[in-house]
Amino acid sequence: MGSVDTKAAEGGRQPRISEGREKVDFKMITFSVGGKEYGIDIMKVKEISKIDRYTYVPNGSPFLRGVYNLRGDIIPIIDLRTMFHLSVKPPERGKSENVIILTTEEQVMGIIVDTIDKVVGIASERIKPPHPLFNDINIQYLSGVVELGDFLYIVLDVDRIFSVQEKAAKPIEAALDENEAPSVAGAGASPAEEDESDVELGFITETLAAFKGFSVTPLNLVWVKGRLSEWRELRSSAGLPVQLSKAEEADDFLESFFSPYTAEFWDDEYAKKVEALLPEVSAGAVSAWNPGCGKGYETYSVAAILLRHYAKKRVKVWANDNDLLGISMAPTLSFHEEGVPKSIKALASKGRNGYTFKQEIKDSILFEYHDIVHPNPFPDVDVIVARDILSFFNSSNQASLIGLFRAKLRPGGLLLIGQNERFEDHAWHEVQKGELTGYIRLPDGESEDSPKRSEVK
Amino acid sequence: MRVEYINPFVEATFSVLKEVLNAKVERGELYLKPSSHPVLGVAAIVGLAGDVEGRVLFDMSRETAVAIASIMNGEELQDLDELGKATIAELANMITAQAVTKLHDLGFRFDLTPPALITGQNMEVSSPNVEALIVPVMLPQGKLEINVAIRERA
Repeated sequence: MGSVDTKAAEGGRQPRISEGREKVDFKMITFSVGGKEYGIDIMKVKEISKIDRYTYVPNGSPFLRGVYNLRGDIIPIIDLRTMFHLSVKPPERGKSENVIILTTEEQVMGIIVDTIDKVVGIASERIKPPHPLFNDINIQYLSGVVELGDFLYIVLDVDRIFSVQEKAAKPIEAALDENEAPSVAGAGASPAEEDESDVELGFITETLAAFKGFSVTPLNLVWVKGRLSEWRELRSSAGLPVQLSKAEEADDFLESFFSPYTAEFWDDEYAKKVEALLPEVSAGAVSAWNPGCGKGYETYSVAAILLRHYAKKRVKVWANDNDLLGISMAPTLSFHEEGVPKSIKALASKGRNGYTFKQEIKDSILFEYHDIVHPNPFPDVDVIVARDILSFFNSSNQASLIGLFRAKLRPGGLLLIGQNERFEDHAWHEVQKGELTGYIRLPDGESEDSPKRSEVK
Repeated sequence: MRVEYINPFVEATFSVLKEVLNAKVERGELYLKPSSHPVLGVAAIVGLAGDVEGRVLFDMSRETAVAIASIMNGEELQDLDELGKATIAELANMITAQAVTKLHDLGFRFDLTPPALITGQNMEVSSPNVEALIVPVMLPQGKLEINVAIRERA
């Protein structure tokens, strides 16, 4: 498509808008992606072209198709279908694709779309703001929705879509600056070195998010920075670059992030430390919530501790995970004798295929295939064990989940997060037992002047 | 959604569909949806009560519904008439009943309500505070989505 038939679009083809009753002050180019109609402000569009050959860029984001030489300017080409998580037909060899070249605040880039339709002019007040209930899509990327003829066009906010990554990276850099400032002065590190590690941290942040869905936020920044300096030495002695170029390397990087006894039963010593932090419960029943329970090892460990600690009370554990395969095995988990702590073995009985848990233990646990960001309908709980799951949500979800944990916990209840995760909030009281840290939910209206820690004997 | 409930529904869906349609039935990836869900055009609802509360919704386009009903009746239906509607409702009943029988064998007590059939454009079903398990099924007649929203009685 060399040019767009603008005359026809502004002329007779859109009778409803060209009747002249409204002032046309916004023109947009309409196009379709994945069978849906979208519009982009024409002022952001530099040109439209058909492109068939890109230069692939290794290690780029999944939606970055490559770079293209536009009359001497090298511009990135982004596949909007991948970016919007729509299915993409593999491009036919030698067949060119429709590309809209955009000029945003910062740069020039091309986006691949299915078909480019036309240019339409409308009055800008006809753009309806996106409804706040569209929580499935990121409404921050939309300017709004326009109805034209038989179609609804989603008007994309180009500047916001393509500056997201810079924005996402900023809070971390800001946090870094705050934390680093005094130590930089003390250690006398040169600004150049500092810059380089900033860049590295930014890179690690992006690749961890891309490969593993892990988001670097103040919750885990201390660990990430510590791990980064360890990683730098490790990699340079092996003659490898610091950057993570594939998922396996991201796995290696995160190896030491996970709390002790991830995906296995907790040993007796660790269980005792957790037990020491448990709150006093006066009611006849104790309930716990274990989001992200995986295959269920953690859940059974928690249930074992609760059953022992609150011997006379009724114990109920809600465990959920959004990994269907993992959690499908959990209700009928079986294991072999080796390396299993005594306290766990005591709750199981030997069968033909190894040990399985006794019915009364199974009855106290409810495994659910459930996504924690969806409504959580069960009643309030006394204990929440959510180790290492918060880091796999983005920072706004992390904050809302901590808020959700607070809402679900009874006052005085205990929240356990990963050993490399920390947050500071005046509405929580930190408790410690050895290297294990827990958070006690303070009653509503009560808060601490500064987040305090106390050691449990 | 309790893990133990998932398999009975998936198994019942496939065994019943294979039997009545006598065709290849392909399963899509299971996933979870928050409370509200658009309906494709024809929706059969079966309510559940007992140990749990909830409902199972069978969702398909009108064309798919007509094609399925045609095969089940052994005659070519032109539109979704009384017979067609009764057939789709019966299909929903068969699948849910078989799932509930399987669950009964596992020790869960469920009761069913008679199926209700709803048709129309631009519909959306909401079950506040219950997320739904979606079982997408690809049939030669089109796509069928089974939407199971069940909550434990607190």
